[in-house]
Amino acid sequence: MRRAIESDVCIVGSGISAAMVADRLARTTSAAVLVVEAGDETIPLPRRAATRERFLRYNENPWGRDHLEGYEIDGPLQSRSMQVGGLAMHWGGVTPRFSPDDFRHHSLFGVGTDWPISYEDLEPFYQEAEELMGVAGEQGPKELDPRSKPFPMPAIPLTYNLSLLKDWAAKAGIATWSQPSAKNSVAYRGRAQCCRNDTCSPICPVGAKYSPDMTWTALRASNRVRLAPRTLVRKLVLAPDGKTISHAIAADRDRPNDPVELHAKLFVVAAGYTWSSHLLLLSAQAGAPDGIANSSGLVGKYLTGHRNVQGYIDLPIRLYPGMNEQHSLLSKQFMRAKPGAPFMRHDLRVWESAVGKGPRLADDDGSLMLGDAILSDWRARTKTGTARVRAYYDVLPDRSSELTLDAARTNAWGDPLPRLAFRDAPESAALRGRTEDSIRALFESMAKAGGGKVLRTSVDNFQDHPAGGCRMGTDAQSSVVNSWGRTHDHENLFVVGAPTSVSGSCANATLTFCALALRSAYEIERGLPRSTR
Amino acid sequence: MQPLRPPRTITRRSFLAWAAILAPMPAIVRRAHAASILEIQNDPATLHALADTVLPSALGTAGIANAVRDFTDWGAGYHEGAEVVHGYGTSRLRTLGPTPLTRWTSQLADLNARAQSAHQKRFSALARAQREAIVRTALQEQRLDRMPNVADANHVAVALVAHFYDSPAATDLCYEAQIGKQTCRPLAAQARKPLPMMKLSER
Repeated sequence: MRRAIESDVCIVGSGISAAMVADRLARTTSAAVLVVEAGDETIPLPRRAATRERFLRYNENPWGRDHLEGYEIDGPLQSRSMQVGGLAMHWGGVTPRFSPDDFRHHSLFGVGTDWPISYEDLEPFYQEAEELMGVAGEQGPKELDPRSKPFPMPAIPLTYNLSLLKDWAAKAGIATWSQPSAKNSVAYRGRAQCCRNDTCSPICPVGAKYSPDMTWTALRASNRVRLAPRTLVRKLVLAPDGKTISHAIAADRDRPNDPVELHAKLFVVAAGYTWSSHLLLLSAQAGAPDGIANSSGLVGKYLTGHRNVQGYIDLPIRLYPGMNEQHSLLSKQFMRAKPGAPFMRHDLRVWESAVGKGPRLADDDGSLMLGDAILSDWRARTKTGTARVRAYYDVLPDRSSELTLDAARTNAWGDPLPRLAFRDAPESAALRGRTEDSIRALFESMAKAGGGKVLRTSVDNFQDHPAGGCRMGTDAQSSVVNSWGRTHDHENLFVVGAPTSVSGSCANATLTFCALALRSAYEIERGLPRSTR
Repeated sequence: MQPLRPPRTITRRSFLAWAAILAPMPAIVRRAHAASILEIQNDPATLHALADTVLPSALGTAGIANAVRDFTDWGAGYHEGAEVVHGYGTSRLRTLGPTPLTRWTSQLADLNARAQSAHQKRFSALARAQREAIVRTALQEQRLDRMPNVADANHVAVALVAHFYDSPAATDLCYEAQIGKQTCRPLAAQARKPLPMMKLSER
């Protein structure tokens, strides 16, 4: 039997961008907001200490059944996770902002595409996101780290190890500071102070790291949103006028034979870089033969992100790994490319590490050690320390960096699964080797400055913090949504957060996705009744 | 758009047929796992003697006993087939492999057999040097280039070592400092050098 649910705003997805939108709409409007999530409820906070323990002991997934069966896809999916709260249930909570240059690649450097907004346009929403989540941070050099207001919380203090590594980086001529993070340096909005359990990713057992379930718990407790888990939206349906979305069709996983119609004045697709484009493409119908919002043919195109070069450097300083392993130093010193020069930029982060300093079973000659010999050997090798260094660098997306529907793989409802392929734009492909070599050379110079040596380096082929697929722009021929996330084709359909990104910068991008989502919410609320609270 | 349908179409008859085939397998695995736990509990001396052979003497008698208890708790809590944490960049899911306890119990029995053969005594009744010689012989055919994950350890002696050295206590022992990794500790204290370990007499 077909069921219908009515709302003013229907948000598809319950990840971090959805949480930002819902939170803002709940504060500023009196709209009835429905949030639909394909996955299950997440593990509640009181159970996380126990699931974390099993993660530590056995490497078990601490998030329970956080995925849908049968979703093995072709391509580098960021994570299989699908649950209330989305991927940010297990994020690291790292929240740098993009730089002003990120929004003007073409104007400044002649590569890629300019965003239709500037850093200044987004700045108030960065601040709002930081305050909503609770970001602890330290003001970096103003020219590299512009902001209009202080961080909501003081920075996570540097560990003893990071203080030593900061001095070392300074010897190499690199200014570093405490990595901004959505982790409580002090108790914040009813959430506990960080007590450095060291497992921020995948799970914080005390709730000191922000995760979207915290927003959902608060909004549901005050009846300001209705959240429907285990409800998979399969299609957006056009109204007879062909211009607006009439309703969405969803499958209730508990009642698979009873389709659900979701009727709303306004639809917000907040399902991340994969499932947002996927839903729009799945929604092909008369009047939208290539998918909803796809008159440009660009839905699913220009998937973006960044790669990294990582290294481990042996240094003649004694470090104590385990003090707060996931906290790091940050430098944006290399995030400013020179106009006119080849477009090569990267961030830089520095962590304590135990790599190369762990206990071992065999000595340098390959002889087995037992008993006291293992401990003696370990102690001898930990008189010096290891620094982990990592640089994310820009990868400008090609049009063929894309999500398409995979006719060979379908889900349990017979819908094609997505296929993902990330491809560098020619200008990025041409510079890849040179960029990676320059980062390796930087690591070598850092090692030399500290009297150490590079143990090894590696390049992650996987693009981190993936985004795009519904990129924003002013021209309906070359973008899917406008700068507010409203689709060019349909007045009452927004796509928010990661999918709307034009490029992926060279820094962790989740805070930017949140700021973009809040900016979309600012536009969405203008068409809704104001809050009377 | 295809009509909505349940995730999998399966008749009651085919379900029962499959259940008849598959149901005994987990039950057998669970029984073997439980039997292994019981076997270790019934002969604690061999495991203690092994720990005393392969773990550092700095732990002392109480530390060795704690390490053995933690190790047996670890084994008892192992859930074959449990889903492991998702990897990034892939949609592939992975699960924990077969329980290692069954092979470890047979290896403990093998240590006793070797002790009987060489010295006509149980493994736990031997001097430490004799035990170490037996362990070294037993490990001769193992590839031991690095410390494995506990569950992946091919031999119970290596599993004991890997389990202990993965613990916060082992890190503190190595650095002779109160680091307390992966435990809830005051945030402000991370700014200073970890305090030195207390001597046993000071505890």
